[in-house]
Amino acid sequence: MSNEQKQYLKKLKNTKIKILFWQILLIIIFIFLWELLVNIGVISSFIFSSPSRIFKTIIELINNNNFFIHIFITLKEVLIAFILGISLGFLIAIILYQFKLFARIIDPYLTMLNSLPKVALGPLIIIVCGANSKSIILMALLINLIVSIITIYNGFLTTPSYQLKLFKSLNASKLQILTHLVIPNSYQTIIASFKLCVAQTLVGVIMGEFLVSKQGIGYLIVYGKQVFNLNYVMTGIILLALISYLLYKLIVILEKKLLKHI
Amino acid sequence: MNNLIKIQELTKNYHTKEGEINALFNINLDIEKGKIISLVGPSGCGKSTLLSLISGLDEDYSGCILKDKIKTAYMLQNDALLPWLTIYENATLGLKLQKNITKERLEYVDYLLKLYNLQEFKDNYPKSLSGGMKQRVALIRTLAINPDLLLLDEPFSALDQQTRLLISDDVYKILRKEGKSAILVTHNIEEAITFSDQVIVLSKRPATIKNIIDIKFKNNDSIFTRRRDNQYEEYFDLIWKDLDMNE
Ligand SMILES: Nc1ncnc2c1ncn2[C@@H]1O[C@H](COP(=O)(O)OP(=O)(O)O)[C@@H](O)[C@H]1O
Ligand SMILES: [Mg+2]
Repeated sequence: MSNEQKQYLKKLKNTKIKILFWQILLIIIFIFLWELLVNIGVISSFIFSSPSRIFKTIIELINNNNFFIHIFITLKEVLIAFILGISLGFLIAIILYQFKLFARIIDPYLTMLNSLPKVALGPLIIIVCGANSKSIILMALLINLIVSIITIYNGFLTTPSYQLKLFKSLNASKLQILTHLVIPNSYQTIIASFKLCVAQTLVGVIMGEFLVSKQGIGYLIVYGKQVFNLNYVMTGIILLALISYLLYKLIVILEKKLLKHI
Repeated sequence: MNNLIKIQELTKNYHTKEGEINALFNINLDIEKGKIISLVGPSGCGKSTLLSLISGLDEDYSGCILKDKIKTAYMLQNDALLPWLTIYENATLGLKLQKNITKERLEYVDYLLKLYNLQEFKDNYPKSLSGGMKQRVALIRTLAINPDLLLLDEPFSALDQQTRLLISDDVYKILRKEGKSAILVTHNIEEAITFSDQVIVLSKRPATIKNIIDIKFKNNDSIFTRRRDNQYEEYFDLIWKDLDMNE
């Protein structure tokens, strides 16, 4: 390796470290300012809580054996709804791609469902499924599924015509075209739809927990509001931010694996 | 009979919402085994259409295309390499799809990769290759399945002039060496003359056969030796005149 190349790599690494440094510094400043402004009374500790109060709330929740249960319940619901959403979305997108006429027939209904605020279905879901985890998962699924179908299907449609022609000229079967061309060609869109799906699933799960649950982070937030302890609300929000970041990161790992050719 | 394909009274119309498009009208053509044929004609006259009818991709036509059980393979203007496959995986794509991965075919692919100095890029992805190298990989992918007839639809027209000459010479030599038949669509008269045994001039849409010109040179070693032949200019003028009269 030449010296210049070494220097170039070193520069790349330095930039990375610099970015990480600033990211950590920013969060520290944010936490510090938050604490400070609350302590000197510029912003209300009752509404905005404070980092130390949130920390105390977390310790208290851990001592009451509630902390990990709330996280676990929400994570479980999110994961189930997410996996159901992307696998059903993927499957239905494939069906639509194979049966274009069917896709055209149901197109207006998909559009309608997509723009319908699914929360409006909340009461109906609860009456049908009962006030339990099932309702929450169904709620999240309703919210994430339509988006998954539409984005993945549109990804399939971007397959270049010259590549379809190549595959047909090589006598590829319909299944081969799907597995060797259409799906790999859509990796990028599929990953993008996963990212969308995670966000939508969190919305759905929290919405569901607001409506029915007795446990979970959404419940923590609602409970905090009811007893006028906004420390719970803030703790819930912070936990949600961490969870969504974590899930997002997991998808980025998958993305790096699938898109290593780019 | 020495004919690979016999086309009789071939007519093709496309139907679109805007109306009917007559693409080909009453084409009669014999394609001999081992011959390289060029199709020239104004753009949009129906050259690609003719290839896709011959390949069997499109079976909606009137008239008749008689062919034995021959295997055709396409090479397009776009190399159509799959960006998520390595060079080697791209080169062997046809074999994989046709479930025909044999030792013999793979050895042939290796031979071609070596011949075109692509061996060291085997495990790279297409994005790291130049346009010319990518088109060579497309050539290997086309030859790997051992086709009887190559359908070349303006395969060199996206390349710069220098690369274009080098690669068309590569293709010319390998077709000659292996005695393969090919149909080349091009709008480059020079390419048509130096590349083929026969130039077929098509009229504007709906394409009919305007003229068939047999090309004979003394030294057929490469497209460059053919280009230097005294006869070249004569052929050029002939084709030019046929094309010109259509405008
Ligand atoms: N699938 C299609 N549907 C309708 N019209 C088509 C289709 N393919 C080609 N055409 C029309 O047929 C004519 C011939 O096309 P093509 O064979 O691609 O021409 P060339 O290859 O000679 O440029 C053009 O006018 C084109 O617009
Ligand atoms: Mg064309």
